[in-house]
Formats: sequence, C-alpha cells, structure tokens
Amino acid sequence: MILTPELRARLERLSVQSRRRVSAQWAGRHSSRHKGESLDFADYREYVPGDDFRRIDHNLWARLGVLLVRQFEAEEELPLKVVLDTSKSMSFFSKFEVARVLAAMLAYLGLAGGDRVQLFAVPGDEGHAVRLGPVGRHLSQWPRLELWLESLQPTGSGSLASAVRRLSGEGTVRGSLILVSDLLTPDWQPALDGLAVGSGGVVLHVLGQEELSPDLAGDLRLADSESGGELEVSTSEDTMHRYREALERFALEASGRARRSGLDYVLVPALPGAPDQVLAALARAEAVR
Amino acid sequence: MSFLIPAAFGLAALAGPLIVLYMLRSRRQRIEVPSTLLWQQLDLPVSSAVPWQKLRLTPLLILQLLVLAAFVLTLARPFYTQQTLLGPHTVFVVDTSGSMAMAGRLERAKTLALDLITDLSEANQVSVVEAGPAPQVLVAFARDPELVASALAELVPTGGRADLSGAIRLARGLATPDRPTNVLIFSDGGDVPLPEEPVAGADYVMMDDIGPNLAITVWSLEPSTEGTTRAFLQVSNFSAEPASVRAEVMVNGLTAGFVDLEIAPLTDARQTTPIDAGPGDVVSASLLDSTDSLSMDDRASLVVGGGPDRAVSIVGNGSPFLAALVDAMPGFASANEGPADVLIVDGGALPEIDRPTWLIAPTSAPEGVTISELVRNTAVTYQRPGEPILDSVDLSEVAVAEAQVVVAPRWLTLVRAGEVPLILLGEVNGHRVAYFTFDLTHSNLVVQVGFPILGARILEWLGGGSAGAVSTEPAGAPIAMSAPAGTIAQVTLPDGSVRDLLTGTAAFTDTGQPGVYRIQYRADDGTLIEGPVAVRSFVADESEGSVRQIATGGGAIAEEEPSTLIREWAPWVIGLVLLLMAVEWWVGHQRPGWSRRPRRERSMAA
Repeated sequence: MILTPELRARLERLSVQSRRRVSAQWAGRHSSRHKGESLDFADYREYVPGDDFRRIDHNLWARLGVLLVRQFEAEEELPLKVVLDTSKSMSFFSKFEVARVLAAMLAYLGLAGGDRVQLFAVPGDEGHAVRLGPVGRHLSQWPRLELWLESLQPTGSGSLASAVRRLSGEGTVRGSLILVSDLLTPDWQPALDGLAVGSGGVVLHVLGQEELSPDLAGDLRLADSESGGELEVSTSEDTMHRYREALERFALEASGRARRSGLDYVLVPALPGAPDQVLAALARAEAVR
Repeated sequence: MSFLIPAAFGLAALAGPLIVLYMLRSRRQRIEVPSTLLWQQLDLPVSSAVPWQKLRLTPLLILQLLVLAAFVLTLARPFYTQQTLLGPHTVFVVDTSGSMAMAGRLERAKTLALDLITDLSEANQVSVVEAGPAPQVLVAFARDPELVASALAELVPTGGRADLSGAIRLARGLATPDRPTNVLIFSDGGDVPLPEEPVAGADYVMMDDIGPNLAITVWSLEPSTEGTTRAFLQVSNFSAEPASVRAEVMVNGLTAGFVDLEIAPLTDARQTTPIDAGPGDVVSASLLDSTDSLSMDDRASLVVGGGPDRAVSIVGNGSPFLAALVDAMPGFASANEGPADVLIVDGGALPEIDRPTWLIAPTSAPEGVTISELVRNTAVTYQRPGEPILDSVDLSEVAVAEAQVVVAPRWLTLVRAGEVPLILLGEVNGHRVAYFTFDLTHSNLVVQVGFPILGARILEWLGGGSAGAVSTEPAGAPIAMSAPAGTIAQVTLPDGSVRDLLTGTAAFTDTGQPGVYRIQYRADDGTLIEGPVAVRSFVADESEGSVRQIATGGGAIAEEEPSTLIREWAPWVIGLVLLLMAVEWWVGHQRPGWSRRPRRERSMAA
C-alpha cells in the first residue's frame, strides 16, 4: 500500500485545479476550451444557420439588432498525466520511494476529482522511451493504478527528452502533467523545454539529502550509476563549496525552464515529510484546492 | 644528548619511501553515485597520466615524519650522563657513633644516601654497612631501592664510638672481582685516625653539622668517708657560650635532688652530691631543659654495686701475683674468713660455682666447657678487638708454655693462641666466670705491663664494678652472656624493649643505647630469674662532636671509578612516539566515504 488511509482521506477533500482550459473527449468537472452545456456563461458569437435558437440572446438582438448566440463553459474531465522517473539514479537515498508516493498521491488526487488519470514511467522497458501505465477515471480504479505503481523498479536508463517528446507527440488530449524525477540525466534541459503542456502541471524535483549536502571526503572516483562513467574527485572545502553552487544553479535553471513550459516547480528533498511539503507547495501555487 | 645506538639513525632513510608514497597518486576509492552530472560542472582538475604528483605537505605527512623521527630516536636510545657517587657496586658506610647524633648528622647522612639510591638501577648494586661500635652489614648487593631504604631507616645513633676501620674492612670484604666497588663513607670522621689513609677506593661525605652541646661526661659513685654514697657529676660545655644547667638526680626513676651548675665555654663543671641508694639501685642524672644539639649525652645512669669492699678468696696454688693484685685493688679485699664475693681458683679441682669465679687452669672444666687436650709452647695471636677488658692491654708478647685446649661454644673468647682459647668469659649457674686455660706460672703474662690492668678489669667484671657501682662500659661494648642450663636469656634494653636471645648466645651486642641493661633468665616453666645488670654509657669523647677529614683515594676497588650514570630518555621518547601515533591516527581516521551519520530516512510507505 503506497498511500495510507489517512493520506487518502485528506486527498479526497482536495482537487486538482487546471490553469488552462481543458480539451478532452469526455465531459468532466473542468472547464473545457470547447463551449459546452454548463450553466457558466462563456462568450457570444454571431449566429450561423443551424445554431440552437434557444441560445440566441434576444435582449441583445432587441437592443443592437444583431443575432448573437450565447456560449457556455463546457464541463470536461481533466486529462492528468503522471510521469514517474524510474531511472537507476532514483534508486539512491530513498528517492524512488518518495517519488512513487508523490506520484500516487497526485494520481489519487486526480481520481478523487473525477479526472482522467494516466500513469507513465520513464524510461520505458525494452528500449521504449515511455512505459504506459493504466488509465483511471474513478477512485474505484485506484487499486489497479496502485498495483502498477508498486510494480515499478528504478532500474532503467534512457533519455528523458525522448520520453517527453513521446508524451507530447501522442496526439492525445492535452491536459495537465505531473513529472516526478530527479532530473539527473544529461538531457534534462530539452526535456523540460519540451514539456509544452496545455493545462499546466508541476515538476516535482526529488533529490536525496546526500545529494543536497554530500558528506564525502578524500580522493574519490565517482561512478555514474546510469552511464557507468567515472569521475575523479578530490574533496576539499573548495570542492564542496563549488558543488553546492552547482546544485543551486541546477535547481534554479530547472525551475525557470519548468515555468517557461507552464509548469510549477517544487524541489523535494527525499525525506519522510515530502508529501506534506508538496501539498503545501501546490496549495500555495493554487494547483490544488 | 648522546646515543647508545647511533646506527639506528640509518632508519631515518625510511622517510624517503614515505615521501615517495605521498608523491605517488593514491588509488582512489570508487563510489557509485546516482549521477555525476553535477560533479562534472565543478571544473575539476584533470588527472595526470603520470603516476606521481607534486608533494603536498599535509598534516598527516608531517605527523608521520614526526612519528618516524621519534621512532628512530627511540631506537637510537638517547641518553644523558649524570654525575653520581653511585658505581656498579657502592657500599654505604654510615657512621652511627654518638657524635653522629649531633645536629641531625645521621639524619642528613641517611637523606643523602636515600637521594643517591633514587639513581639505583639494574646496573647498580648497593650495600650498607653500619659503622657503629660493632660494624655490621645491613644489606648487601641490593638492587631494590626499597630494600636499601629499609636498611637505612634502621640506622640510629649509638652512644658509642664508631669502629670505622672495621666498617671499612667489612665494606672491602664485599668487593667482588667482577664489579668495581667504591665505598662511600658518611661520617664525621670520628676521633680515631684510620690505620690507612688515604682510604683507597672510597669517597668521604663529611657530616659536619654542629651545634652547642652540654654533656654529662662523668657520672660515678664513690664511697664517702661517712660510709654513705656520693655521686660525682661532671658536665661539659662544648659551646662558645657560658651555660647554666640544672641536673636532676634520680634513684630508680624518682627524683633524689638537683644539681645546679654554671659552666664557662669549653670547660667542665663538677659537683658531688650525696645520694641515698643501695645495692642494685639505678642512679641517673639528666640535664633539665637542655635544648642542645645532642640529647643522648644529657642523661647518664649507673647501678649501685654490692658494697664498698668485696671479699676475694683465692684457692688452689695461690699465685702471689694474684694475692698482690687483690690487695692492690680498691674496693676488693682478701677474704681470710667468711664467705667471699669473688672466688679465684688457681689450678686444682673445680669447686661448685656459686659466686663470680676466676678459673685459672682448673683440672676439670665447668659446665659448657670441654677440655680436650693440652697444647705446649704457644703464644698469643689474637685479642678481641673493642673488648673493654682488653682496652690498652697489649698481650702480644705473652708466651704460654702449656695451655688447655678447650671447647666452649657459648663462652666469649677474649684471647687466643691460634685457635686455642687462652682467656674466656662466661657464666655458670648465673654467675660470671673468667677462665684462663693456662697456669699463670707457665706463662710470662704476670710479668707483662698489662697484667695488673687485665687482672683489675677481670676482678671488676667479676665483682660487678668498682667504687661501689656496677662496672660501666662504653655503649656498644658487648655483654657477655651465659644463661643457666635450661633457661633462655632475655635482655631489657634502656628504652624498655625486650630481646630474647637464642640459646647459646655468648654475647649480647646490641648495646648501642646508653643506659641500663637488665638480664633475666626464663626457665622452661616461665619463671624469671634475675641475672646481672650491665650499664653502657655514652662515650664522652663523642659529645664534643669534633669533625675530622678523612683522606680518601680515588678509583674503585676493582677498576676505574664510574663517576657518571647513563640515563636514557627512553620513557620520554616512547611517550612522544605514542602521543604522535595517537594524533596521527586521529587525523588519519577521517576516511573517505558517505556520511556515517544515522540515516534519517525511513520507509515512506505505510
């Protein structure tokens, strides 16, 4: 069980808020970029033959002499894509365990709001950029999603940018996107740049405490867990200072690129209190309510 | 600083390989990290292809070089030399004469000796000889400072004269061929020149502390014309200031009177005072409120003898020399009638010993003596040194035509001809007995100058003293013992302590304390039989506290004198090595690796 009953109860009282209009195939609870049948007035347009006479605003016709048709907000479900990084670098310092909880938490939040939630794992298996997960539209489908999340292991390696391109180019309805990753991949920059998500989303940047504040000493040969490449490092005060500076630059740039792509950015230390921190950050950004 | 093994400095060359190890590139520890992405942005220096690098003087390298230096220093065994009076074998000859009690001389001598034995090591041995009236070895060839200190602690000043010559002879007897021996004499020099000066192989540490001193130099009894007893007191002032002193006269510990004296500097004052004391009473005089530098001579004691005239009966051949001797002796008279106090048996059969007896070649031996044969034409070869009876008596010219060869293991032999005893002292049935193994007419003893003196002293010894008092001898003079059969002798010393003597002990020699020695015999059933009383007095010459230089010759008895001690720095250097190693371990303990802090993570799953 990834989510505790207490956390699930809390999540059921919240909902994901979309900043942009949703384009979807099924009616839901989020405003669609299509005008629909809801009670919320959206706009006027000129009458064209075939329009429903009931939508002609007779008051305006009387005052202005122009036939205008009232348009209303369409109530549509939010397509929510939750993308979980399962690269090998996530296997360190409990990052994957924290990331999986965060992904499950947001997926559950979507289901609780009646959204269409689809899970993805990047990189995919057998050479695929993305591993498609199950789709859910109702909380009754949560066990299936949870089971799938539990089956994931952080053992893969691959291009995050390719995965993002794969997600963007599917031709499916564009919705919100949740990316849970440590972004420790050489192509993390194009990956974030390629996240042109129509309805916004969030990048949860999960880093281990030992990555935020490494406690290394001596002359070392650091081996990259994914690429296998090695790097000789002689630790010193100066080295560690420069590492912290690089880390800050990394987080700042990731935040900037995410925001330019229309996504919120939250840096999440892989600690037990990460779910509360993320919910608080998303609430401040009005991504959840 | 010098080094016992300077070749060990060759090991300092190990610093070369140590430095080379630091110049070689270390094999880096491989650690798998999630990603090297961030580390690649640090602009890290590019590794060189060559296996060595520029030497960096790290604290660890400095510490390791220091450890190596200290280790090499330890192996080189640095040492320093220290001037010392201790040699491979040093014999402390410590004077315990009466004058050493003045102004803490003996205590200072013991302190100096104790200071010296702090240098004692496995390479040194120390012996201690007490130079008292009867020199003795207290400890020999000791390496243990505690043992030597214990022996030194036993030393107390006596009231007698030191036999320095005998002590030095004892010290030389301790010399062994394999080990240079030097003698260290702690003394004030005594008042008797040594037979050999300079004393070879010896160093002299002069104890010259001095202070004002008032001393009782004469304390005697003499019969008065009225038939009473008078005590004669002489007090000497050895200081440069006039002194007023009050002396308390006591009989058996009770005050009998006071004598006040005014004494000019470096002079004596005398006074006679009548006392009411009977035979066997202890008569003492002590200076009151005396705060001088020598307290042992502030008190004197004597024991009232049996009476003014003691009857002497001569039986046997009756040599005219003996009769003349008795007639000439004050306090003695020939006993023509009635019982005699002293019996002289000049040849003939042995009577029952029931009083002090002088046996001269009796036909049968008394108890404890066995006559085995006769020896002819022999001469005196030995006089017991330090024996008061023989003081100033020269018997070296005495020849004996015929003498008994006797075996008397419990008797004190005063004079011998080879191994044949000629004159012995002992006790039979609790009575003093002097035994001459030769007939006076068969020797030239009676025509020797010393015969009257010898005879007088023997009579005084037998009669228990002269002039109405038990004979008083200098402190340190032995007390001849002869316990009755079936008894054990015990001696009560002046300080009240009691010594049990082993059966067969011929003489009690621990008589350094001035005062009265009471001898008792304990029978098997526990009953005590009163024995004779002996008095030992403080030797008046010691009261002056004069100091004399003793000339000594350099060099140890066996080889050259070792005047320096080698002291190694090993404990300090080893301590430094351990300290540096601890610091080096502490500094080097920060090994590379991820944090050892307790991980704060825990499962996020429920």
